[in-house]
Amino acid sequence: MKHYFSLFTLFIPLLAQAHYIPSQDEPITVNASLSATWRSDNIVDENEYWQIPGTNMGGDAWPVEEGVQIDEMKLGLGARIDENTYAIVEIGTHASDSDDHSSVSLEHAYVGYVCCEEFGPLVLEVGKMSAAFSPSLSAHASDSLTSESSLAADVFFGRYFHDEGARVMWHTDSITAGAEVWKGDAFPATASAGYAWDAFARYQWKGSNLSFVSGAWLYRSSAETRADHRYGGGHQHTPVAVPGETASIFPDTRFTGDTDLYGIHADFAYTSDSESWKAGMKAEYMGMQMDGTLHDAIGRTADLDSEQTGSWAQPYITIKDHTFGVRAEWLTSDNLITGAAADQLGTDSGMANPTGFEPSRYTAVWLWQWKENIALRTEVVDDQSLLEDKLRFGVGIIWKQTLWPFNSKSHH
Amino acid sequence: MQSKMLASLFLMFVFLSGCMSESQTIIDDEGARESSFDWGLPDSIPLPQEPDDNPMTEEKFQLGRHLFYDARLSTNGTVSCSSCHHQDKAFSDGVDRATGATGDVHPRNSQTLVNVAWYQTLTWGNPSLGTIEQQITLPLFGDDPIEHGLNESNSEQIIQAIQADPVYSELFISAFPDQDDPLLGDLVWDNTIKSLASFVRGLVSFDSPYDQGELTDSAKRGEALFNGERLECFHCHAGYNFSDATIDRETTFAELDFHNTGLYNIDGLGAYPSPNTGRHEVTGKAEHMGQFRAQSLRNIELSAPYNHDGSVATLEDVVSNYARGGRLIASGENSGDGRVSPVKDGFIVSFEITDDEVSDVVEFLKSLTDTTFINNPRFSDPWTEDD
Repeated sequence: MKHYFSLFTLFIPLLAQAHYIPSQDEPITVNASLSATWRSDNIVDENEYWQIPGTNMGGDAWPVEEGVQIDEMKLGLGARIDENTYAIVEIGTHASDSDDHSSVSLEHAYVGYVCCEEFGPLVLEVGKMSAAFSPSLSAHASDSLTSESSLAADVFFGRYFHDEGARVMWHTDSITAGAEVWKGDAFPATASAGYAWDAFARYQWKGSNLSFVSGAWLYRSSAETRADHRYGGGHQHTPVAVPGETASIFPDTRFTGDTDLYGIHADFAYTSDSESWKAGMKAEYMGMQMDGTLHDAIGRTADLDSEQTGSWAQPYITIKDHTFGVRAEWLTSDNLITGAAADQLGTDSGMANPTGFEPSRYTAVWLWQWKENIALRTEVVDDQSLLEDKLRFGVGIIWKQTLWPFNSKSHH
Repeated sequence: MQSKMLASLFLMFVFLSGCMSESQTIIDDEGARESSFDWGLPDSIPLPQEPDDNPMTEEKFQLGRHLFYDARLSTNGTVSCSSCHHQDKAFSDGVDRATGATGDVHPRNSQTLVNVAWYQTLTWGNPSLGTIEQQITLPLFGDDPIEHGLNESNSEQIIQAIQADPVYSELFISAFPDQDDPLLGDLVWDNTIKSLASFVRGLVSFDSPYDQGELTDSAKRGEALFNGERLECFHCHAGYNFSDATIDRETTFAELDFHNTGLYNIDGLGAYPSPNTGRHEVTGKAEHMGQFRAQSLRNIELSAPYNHDGSVATLEDVVSNYARGGRLIASGENSGDGRVSPVKDGFIVSFEITDDEVSDVVEFLKSLTDTTFINNPRFSDPWTEDD
């Protein structure tokens, strides 16, 4: 059985730091993390909605705000129940808008079963959890180099992916493969339209100096009257603006249809012989197809056929306690909207992109592991995700610690 | 192994650089913004639906305008459409209930004729009346109550009067160029109805201070109240026409929305005085008692008195009834407390509101008054011009 643990210590960090399996040596673990950032500017002004041209956003993809913002807070409990069984519970809060939607929520609550050493091993997990098919989806602000989620994750998955479902994974020294089935609560699916599912595979290799992981995944979902729950989806009212400013009601346009995504990703690194420095690059490419209908509450409909791509690349170098990196991101959209209401619903849904605008964003980061459990992060973001180019600066702090057992260490 | 890693990296860069297609959004509205008629609409307003058998033309609009103001279209030459629909009152008439050509008093208040083309149903409470062409036959030929009073015995005489008028000869031929003789026999009535419907359909009002973004501070406060959690006005008076019974060319499907606002409750079960029982009058279903279509609030300032029977004098009174959660009639044959009506709409709940707030809401409603519309010579009496 100990063979399992050595395997997991290898592949779990490569999958995503949000996933772990408590070991029998430390049957109870309690982990906490906090990421907070001060930013010099908003993405959008007060009373404006963050809608990237050519896309249909939703989920928890809230725009970052000027000033101090808690990017996320997490508190997780892991319990090794017996030789094969374990349980994970995690609560967390994410950055939200100024109306304080950032309440604490149960993000992970699942039971896992690991077995069958002769085949791999195999891991079965059931409950509420993050998706494993894309490493970047489960990497939150305290796990990743940048404090802001990728544009691709924001647009295609509403930033985070927490849903109820089941996962089966198979591992060898170099191969990880798995499949997940979801209730459908997580954007871009809706539970009323049935189950969503995904499949993924990745190859990992580690040598004396070089290491890399590359993988591919496929995700399929359906949605029924899917709303952008950031601003709509319920009781709609005109927001109240401060005197002298105006605020308009959010156009509550819905999507019914299929959303299929696929992606490939890679992560390679070179570590010096002395381990005093390390350089590498991470990258991911996602493609999305939407096929369905846009509609609203007053009976307007239009057919939608959309193909979109999102990608990011992040070279970095770590010298002792300092990491310097750059992340470049791009989005494209090729949309066809047909029907009498195509013009209005295209505008209301965000899918309209009359100028063929292609959003992008470039982030330069310096991360300093100041203390054993605390890192400081400085960022410069050239945000071209909207028609108006914005430059903002960010200074943040990351606290990440294993609270139990007491003597454990946690680095970013 | 390093070759595998390099191959993986190469594939990644191929995807990142080569597979990024150019962005575009193609909008195909299938002709939804095209019409042979100049509606004079702002870009934000979608075109209304036009019946396939009566597409809008300027010629039919002008013929309909002449017919609308012509009292010869009544049994005794005393009543025209404009008798109950005055342009300066947004084509309402300022009285609680109008009187027909023979003295019948209509049980309903005369509605404004504002953006009628966008209504899902016509009249106050008939869910089956879906076109203006259908509706126009009621005031012309209806006998309960008699409005214009046209019938089989007098229609021939009226046809002859129209045929004899050289103004009409020219207008009918121009409006129906494909017909050999558009004034021949019964064809004249079909053409008359289509032309009247075209004129009414073309009465468009989207040029108020609200549309221009010129609200007073009081109106802005009123707008916030109108759209607020407390008053809930906007649920029924929704959208660009301030009515949830609005459809346009972009509408694929629409639910029939009628509402009981708690105006009456004469038997404790929510009954309205007969025959004015609204949708129930047509369907006979108890749950439809007192349900009426939400009127557009555009030019509402000009259309007092209010509600389906003109029984509420002012906008302040209307707001007060809603604030109470239903109207209280303390005495008389229609006495009852609308607040406790079991069939009133779920949005009619009582709310606290100050006098200043009532004034703000009314000020917002007044910002929907379109003075361009009520002074537009295109909609005025053409016979005075012809003279």
